[in-house]
Amino acid sequence: MSIIDLTSMGEPQTDMKDEINKRLLTLKDEFSEYCYQCGKCTSGCEAHKLLELEPHKIIALLKRGLIDELVNSDIIWTCMSCFKCRERCPQKIAPVEVLFALKNMVVASGKQIPGNYSMYLQMVLSKGLLQDEKEISTRDNKTLKRADLGLPEISKPVDMAKFMGMLSKLAMEKV
Amino acid sequence: MKKFVFYPGCVMQTEQYALDLSLREILPKFDVELVDVQGFSCCGEPLKSVNQMLSVSLAARNIALAEREGLDMFVPCPMCHLAMSECKRILDSDEEMKQRVNTFLKDDALTYTGKATLVSILDMFHEVIGLEKMKKKVTQPLDSLKVASHYGCHLIRPSEIGRPDDAENPQKMEQILSTIGAKPEDYPEKLDCCGALLNANLPETALTKTGQKLQKIEEYGFNALVDVCPWCHRQFDARQKKAGETVAAKLNVPVVYLTQLIGLSIGISEERLGLNLNLSPVEALQNGGN
Repeated sequence: MSIIDLTSMGEPQTDMKDEINKRLLTLKDEFSEYCYQCGKCTSGCEAHKLLELEPHKIIALLKRGLIDELVNSDIIWTCMSCFKCRERCPQKIAPVEVLFALKNMVVASGKQIPGNYSMYLQMVLSKGLLQDEKEISTRDNKTLKRADLGLPEISKPVDMAKFMGMLSKLAMEKV
Repeated sequence: MKKFVFYPGCVMQTEQYALDLSLREILPKFDVELVDVQGFSCCGEPLKSVNQMLSVSLAARNIALAEREGLDMFVPCPMCHLAMSECKRILDSDEEMKQRVNTFLKDDALTYTGKATLVSILDMFHEVIGLEKMKKKVTQPLDSLKVASHYGCHLIRPSEIGRPDDAENPQKMEQILSTIGAKPEDYPEKLDCCGALLNANLPETALTKTGQKLQKIEEYGFNALVDVCPWCHRQFDARQKKAGETVAAKLNVPVVYLTQLIGLSIGISEERLGLNLNLSPVEALQNGGN
């Protein structure tokens, strides 16, 4: 029997918790159970200063298996990935990596992805790069292209069909 | 002459031309040859939130392309350098993951082996070229310039996967700046994030982060902010005016790439360093910051 959170009546989702922990072990030998809630992550969190992200609470919810509460909250999308929490955790847990895992789960479940992430994905899938080559303006308000500066052509995938084929297979994969 | 495959990433080669230009201008002066390779893609880091398997594989694909040339890889963008270092750490320690990723790369006739070394922009100057060699080339030391450095989070963290400088007290950029005659000084907000990664979904908040840091730098009386990351630079330089609006301040901080300052100190013209592409008030630098 596991604990039921009385405030939310949330049922722990141990399968999903195990999946996240397995993934974290693969990527960085990390295990969220070791967190003892010292709060060092939150005290240095760049997003905490402006938004309401509290990394230690993310780990607390994960430990209780309350994954639904996390994946349904916009708060997981406010991380700036500055990696201070990963750097400073005395127990070598990385809330930033837990957040990446949670965001990946949201995407995989087909929920709506906030902001420009889907555009980034579209761009990389179709062009190989995050954005098209841009014309830029100079200090004296001239518009310049990359070639005007004598720079070589940009490097991008040569055979786009092959590249897209590889990525669309990959997009279905989990860590 | 040392030779490296030049990995340009996305933001530098599609928008931040000043970094691209200045690197290509100064590195040959220090006997470093850059080899352009066709076929690179996004490093994968910006898609880490979407699908981590995708981002690791993209990084591996880019490394595999460089390995095919039989050369080490110069990765100037700190975000790309982090993505590839992390990919390397995972694949080099986990044979199963490596095989999994390589099955995907097979479609593109590529194999990740792990033999290429990844050189960051900081180590290119600090280790590969070295401070002594740099010092010998300086003809116009940037004498009275009091500068603040901004490393960018991805350049120094997480140290666990191997970053070019200390996570809490990085000093290599300061050493490079002193070598070219500038006067770098530490300040309390030195490690603060620029906010750039929030642009995907919370652009206003991203600008507030940028504005807050710039405001402090202006308050401390620095002549310029020096950075190396195209993402951070886009925030501090091109978006400075907008960032000022979010913190209700009219910001006036010249922002330059480290490579542009190095170029100036070894006597390369402002035009060749792309200084006219910086949108922050860099004209203040022309007379030594006064």
